[in-house]
Amino acid sequence: MNDPARTISRTEAEELLYREARLLDTMQLREWLGLYAPDGLYWIPIDETQPAKRTASLVYDDTPSREERVYHLEQLPFPAQNPRSRTVHMVSNIEVLGLDEDGSTRVASSQVIYETRTGDYTQIGLGEISTIVASVEYRLVRLQGVIKIKLKKILLINREMPQGNMTFIV
Amino acid sequence: MTQEIQRVSPYFSDPAPANALIDDAGGHFRVHARAYTDQAIFDLEQKQVFSRIWVYMGHESEFGKAGDFKTTHIGLQPVIVSRGEDGQIHVMLNRCVHRGAAVCRELRGNTPHFICPYHAWKYSVDGRLQAISGENDPSGYSASFDKPEGLRKVPRVDHYRGFYFASLNPDVVPLADYLGPTARQLIDRKLAQAPEGKITVQGRPFVAVYKGNWKFQSENIIDGYHFMYTHRSFVQLQAKYGDTTGDFGVHKGGSAAEMSKNRNLGNVTGGVHGHGINQKPVVGYDDFFTGAFAGHFSALRDRYGDEELRWVLGMGAGCIFPTFGLIHNQIRVWRPIGPALTEVTIYPYSLNGAPEEFNQGMLRSHERFYGPAGYGAVDDVEVFALNQQGLSASDDAWLIMERGMEKEKRLDSGEIEGLPSSETVHRAFWRQWRRLMNSN
Ligand code: FES
Ligand SMILES: [Fe+2]
Repeated sequence: MNDPARTISRTEAEELLYREARLLDTMQLREWLGLYAPDGLYWIPIDETQPAKRTASLVYDDTPSREERVYHLEQLPFPAQNPRSRTVHMVSNIEVLGLDEDGSTRVASSQVIYETRTGDYTQIGLGEISTIVASVEYRLVRLQGVIKIKLKKILLINREMPQGNMTFIV
Repeated sequence: MTQEIQRVSPYFSDPAPANALIDDAGGHFRVHARAYTDQAIFDLEQKQVFSRIWVYMGHESEFGKAGDFKTTHIGLQPVIVSRGEDGQIHVMLNRCVHRGAAVCRELRGNTPHFICPYHAWKYSVDGRLQAISGENDPSGYSASFDKPEGLRKVPRVDHYRGFYFASLNPDVVPLADYLGPTARQLIDRKLAQAPEGKITVQGRPFVAVYKGNWKFQSENIIDGYHFMYTHRSFVQLQAKYGDTTGDFGVHKGGSAAEMSKNRNLGNVTGGVHGHGINQKPVVGYDDFFTGAFAGHFSALRDRYGDEELRWVLGMGAGCIFPTFGLIHNQIRVWRPIGPALTEVTIYPYSLNGAPEEFNQGMLRSHERFYGPAGYGAVDDVEVFALNQQGLSASDDAWLIMERGMEKEKRLDSGEIEGLPSSETVHRAFWRQWRRLMNSN
């Protein structure tokens, strides 16, 4: 159960966000799955002003969908990740914004993700570094004493514009 | 034969350049790499293809009321599409008639008028010039000033059941004739899925830009051949997760063997004007009348009967020549930016009158396959870049499009019907491309 009596500090939030960045950049995706609460959501909207059920999002992953995403990345070869992406997540501007109605702690961050494909860098579509820039909002909860992600909402600054290959985890 | 064409007949000195780029002699059907790579061919396409035929502009649901507008393109040319006070859809070049500035900088919206940001010439939403700032200043215009009427109108605008097209060619064939029977049938069947016979563009589109030629997307959207290979990982995901993660029954068949079998149902049709249509009757038909939406589907069965409803609910995909596609519950539009640069926009739509949960389920399926982080379309886009990459190995210049050539038949309409994973549709596309590129 979430324990609202113990709020989540900025230091605790920072530790979690940095850890998530490292797990993604080192492809420890099973461990990444474990950062989420059972009802957690990994969400990249195009139009965050519309109800997610009634509009298409870039990603709208509940727990089964996150598991499918990790299985896809780890177990199945597919053209968009063959060769693989390499990423570095830069996380900054972390701020605890306060408690949400449901007792979760709202945390703001700014993130810049650099991505490149490995392989023959002389070829079209490979050998470039792409940049993803986003405001990333989290809702964090403490479950059995462990802080978990209830929501990771990624607001790309170019969310209604053309998107490149986002088959790695943002 | 093909080697000779490549060496001795550089297309740019040929009065009918496209002839040298398609080899259909002696049982061949091969396309030369330059059709995809060459700047001169790309430039010629603007004039010979995009300026002479119907190009898709938008759906009526995007222009519900007077003043609604969006920006789009006819080939390279930026246009504004709007609904005027007269209730009609207007298409005009997004270019001020004074000194050429773009008058509209938004993707979409609603406005009573467009005011040019440069010298503030004012246009009605249907493009009429309403006011010239400082018109009567001492340094203004003379009494004999040849005043333009307004933004340059695209001369022909028409729609088929709410799908709006425009043409820069005043003498273009009527839209219904251009579509032909099979493309109209596909659209009719897509709309028949909706209890009210109409659709609504829903939410925001996915947009991708790829480093490849626009014709790769035209070929791919009706390519029945690639699915089991390019989308192999998706087929495996389906077997493991299927509807539990949001496919919503859109891709039929659990195992790879079943999916492969389903892919070989139905047929493809190559249209007289270069369209390619791929249709399959639905599998698991009886399940529709016991599931969560049994009422919805039973009402459709009462209206259309079993035989037609199998096709209405089946997989239908089309490439309406040159750059408009329908597949599943989406409208797809792609536009050339350069010989090796193309933008693809994918709009999901909902079925008017269908249960809310049904339309929501279709949106989740759309995200899962077609999004930039999804399990399908992003692999197609990757393939378009590696197509373009491969063609830089120019000593081997020809692409082979000969699947199913022996197994096609000509219909009374002049359309050609082929087997589901044949390249009948690709050959129809390229024949029309050659006709347009060669004609005056
Ligand atoms: S360019 Fe538009 S008013 Fe001058
Ligand atoms: Fe595909």
